[in-house]
Amino acid sequence: MTKGLMLDFVTDRMKEFGTVEQVRSNRIRIVTTMDKVRDAIKRSQEQLGCDRLITISAADNGRTLELIYHLTGPHRMVISLAIELPRDVPETPTISDIFLSAGVYERQIHDLFGIFFKGNPNLKKIILNEDWPENEYPLRKDWKPDPGKFYGGIKVERI
Amino acid sequence: MPEVVVPIGPHHPALKEPVNFKVIADGEKIVRLELDISYNHRGIEKAAEQRDFIRVLPLLERVCGICSHSHSTAFAKGIEEIMHLEIPPRAQYIRTIIAELERMHSHLLWLGVAAHEIGFNTLFMWTWRDREAVQDTLEEMSGNRVHYGMNEVGGVRRDLTPEQVNAALVRLSHLEERIKKYVDMVNNQETLLLRFRGIGKMSKEEALKYGAVGPTARASGVDYDARSDDPYIAYKEVPWRVVTDTHGDVYGRTCVRIGELGESLKIVRYCLEHLPEGPIRVTTPKAAPKGEILSRYEAPRGEVAHFIRTNGTDKVERLDIRTPTLANWTSVAMCLVNQNLADIPVIVAAIDPCLSCTSRIAVVNNHTGRAGIITLDELRRRSRARYQRLE
Amino acid sequence: MTVPLTCSQRLVNWARVKSPWVTIFNTGACNACDIEIIACLMPRFDVERFGILAKGSPRHADIMIITGHVTLKQASRLRRVWEQIPEPKYVIAMGACGASGGVFHGLYNMVENVDSVIPVDVYVAGCPPRPDEIINAVVTCLNLLKEDIAHGGKEWRQKKAFEFPAKETIAGEVSV
Repeated sequence: MTKGLMLDFVTDRMKEFGTVEQVRSNRIRIVTTMDKVRDAIKRSQEQLGCDRLITISAADNGRTLELIYHLTGPHRMVISLAIELPRDVPETPTISDIFLSAGVYERQIHDLFGIFFKGNPNLKKIILNEDWPENEYPLRKDWKPDPGKFYGGIKVERI
Repeated sequence: MPEVVVPIGPHHPALKEPVNFKVIADGEKIVRLELDISYNHRGIEKAAEQRDFIRVLPLLERVCGICSHSHSTAFAKGIEEIMHLEIPPRAQYIRTIIAELERMHSHLLWLGVAAHEIGFNTLFMWTWRDREAVQDTLEEMSGNRVHYGMNEVGGVRRDLTPEQVNAALVRLSHLEERIKKYVDMVNNQETLLLRFRGIGKMSKEEALKYGAVGPTARASGVDYDARSDDPYIAYKEVPWRVVTDTHGDVYGRTCVRIGELGESLKIVRYCLEHLPEGPIRVTTPKAAPKGEILSRYEAPRGEVAHFIRTNGTDKVERLDIRTPTLANWTSVAMCLVNQNLADIPVIVAAIDPCLSCTSRIAVVNNHTGRAGIITLDELRRRSRARYQRLE
Repeated sequence: MTVPLTCSQRLVNWARVKSPWVTIFNTGACNACDIEIIACLMPRFDVERFGILAKGSPRHADIMIITGHVTLKQASRLRRVWEQIPEPKYVIAMGACGASGGVFHGLYNMVENVDSVIPVDVYVAGCPPRPDEIINAVVTCLNLLKEDIAHGGKEWRQKKAFEFPAKETIAGEVSV
C-alpha cells in the first residue's frame, strides 16, 4: 500500500463517528463516543487498512476518564480514536476480539484506573498485587495512599 | 486436565526481573498461559507526574536497565516535539550513536542468554566478553556502563572528543570480526539449528493478529520498525535497512538479531565518521505548552510507545508507557499452545523478555492426584535430555 | 574476646572464607544491577576463580545479594527466602535502591527501605555498581565473617539504642 493516508480519505469514511483532525504529519485524531468506538475500530480495520493496535492509553483529566486507541497499518499513519467515560461508572465494550493484543492492555488499565471492559474474558489483576484493596485505583488524579490501609507486603516490624 | 503452575522464584544466574506465569498443560502439551507481572510494579507513571523535566529523565532511564536510553530518548523527543524544538544535528548523531551501541549490547546479551538456555555456555561466555568492548566504549563516552544519562530535553549533556571517536572506531573493527564469527556459527552449527528450528513458529498473519513487535515480528516477515515508520534523530540521513526473516521461529529471531547487530555496527561507524560540528543543545523554555503526543521509539526488544500529555506547566500531566514485552506477551501465549513443556525456556527467552522467567514448576496430575515439583534447572536438563535422545 | 576453636571448626571457617556461595534476589529492580552481577561471572571479571559461585537456591548460599527497591509484593517473599538461608548468613544491598530507594524513593508500591524487611550487612554504592565494586563488597563480607568468628557471633555489631544521660537535680534545680 502507498505510504500515507490522506485526511479527506479518512474523513469521508469516519465522519459519522465524530470529529476528524490531523494533529501531526502522520497522526489523525478522531473523537468519538463509547457506543460507537467498536464500529469505528472495525471500520478502520476494514476500510482504512489498519492491522495493528499500537497501544491503548488511558488518562484522567480531572472531570472524566479518557481512553485513546492508537492503530496503524502498512500506510504508516497513526489513527487515534479518543473516547471519554464518566468517572462514576466507567464502562466500555472490549475490543479484545478484534485485536487480540488488547486483552493485556485492558487488564492493565482496569487495574490502574478502574475502567470496566464489558466482554473481556479475563479481567483479573495483572499489575497490582493480590492483597491490593478493592476500589483503589492508583493512577486516578484524586487517589492518595491511605496510611491506614494495608496494600500488601508484610506488616512492618523493625528488626 | 492436569494443571502446571509456575510460581515465582529468583533463582538463576541469568535471570532478570521476576514474573509469575501460570501454564495450564495437558500432559506435555501446553493449553493456556496466564500472566501476572505485579512483582516489580514501581508506580513510575504516577511519579513522573510530580517531577519536572530535568528530574524525570533519570527516573525514566531506570524503567529498564538494558533499554534505558530508549525510554529517556522517547520522552525527550516527545517533549521537544510538543515544544516545537529542533535539536542540533550533532546532538542527533550522538543520540543515534548511543542508541545503536545500546542495541548492540542488548543483542549480544540476548545471544548469550539464549545460548545458556540450551546449555551452550561457551557462546554465553564469548558474547558477554565481546559485550565488554561495547560497554567500554559507552563508559568512555558517557561515564557509566548502564544508565548513560546522555539525554536532556533540548539535546545531549556531553560531547564526544576526537580521542573517544578514534578509540571507538578501533574497538568496532575488532567487534566486526567477532560478529562475522557469530553469523557463521548460526548458519552452520548443528546444536543451534536443532534446538531453535521449528520451535515457537508464528506465520506472518499470526504475528500481525497477535500484535507482536520488534525482532519477534520481523522474524515472521512483518516489516514494522519504528525507525523507518516514524523516523527520528538521525535515521533519515544514515543509510541502513530493516532486517527481516521468513522463518518465523526462534531460529528466525536469532538471525534477525544477529543481522541487526551488523546493521547497528554500520550505523555507529557512519555516525562516528560523519559527526557534524556544532552545538549539542538548545535552550528550552521551562514549561511545555498544552499538547498531546504519541512518541514511538525502536528499543532493542521492540517498539516503545510513550503517550505524553502536557498542560502548560513544567511537569507532564500524563505519561503512559507501553513496553515491548507487554505487546509480545500475547504472541508468546499463543505460540506456546500445543508446544512441549520442555520448550518453555527457549520460547520465552526468544522474545527477549524484559521480565524474567520463573523458576519452579509444580505439575499436578489430575487423574492420579500426584503432585511433583520441577525447578527451572530441572526443566532445562529435561529438555536437553529429550533433544539428546532425538539425535 | 576470642573464642577458642577446635581444628574442625577452623577448617570449616577457612572453607567458608575461601569459597562463599552467593544467591541473587531481585526485589523489583530495573535489572541493571542483575546484569552487572552476571557480568562478574563472565570472562572479564571472572569471580569463579575466587571460589564465588552464583547458586539458585537460598539453602546453598552464604551471602544474599539484593537488587532493587523492595516492592510490596516482594517483601513477604524476601523475608521467607532470607529465613531459609542457613547461618552464618550475610546480606549485601546493592546500589542506590538498596541504600535509600534511589530514584524510586517514596513511590506508592514500595516498602520504606530494605532495612525494614531484613537486616543488611553491607551496602554498595552506585547505580548500578561496577563489577569491581561488587567483588569489593563480597570481600568486605568475608572480612566481616572473619571478625564475627573472632568475636563469636554477630552481637558485637548490633547497634544499641541511644540512651540519654541521666539528668541530675539538686533540690528543685534542673540541670541539662
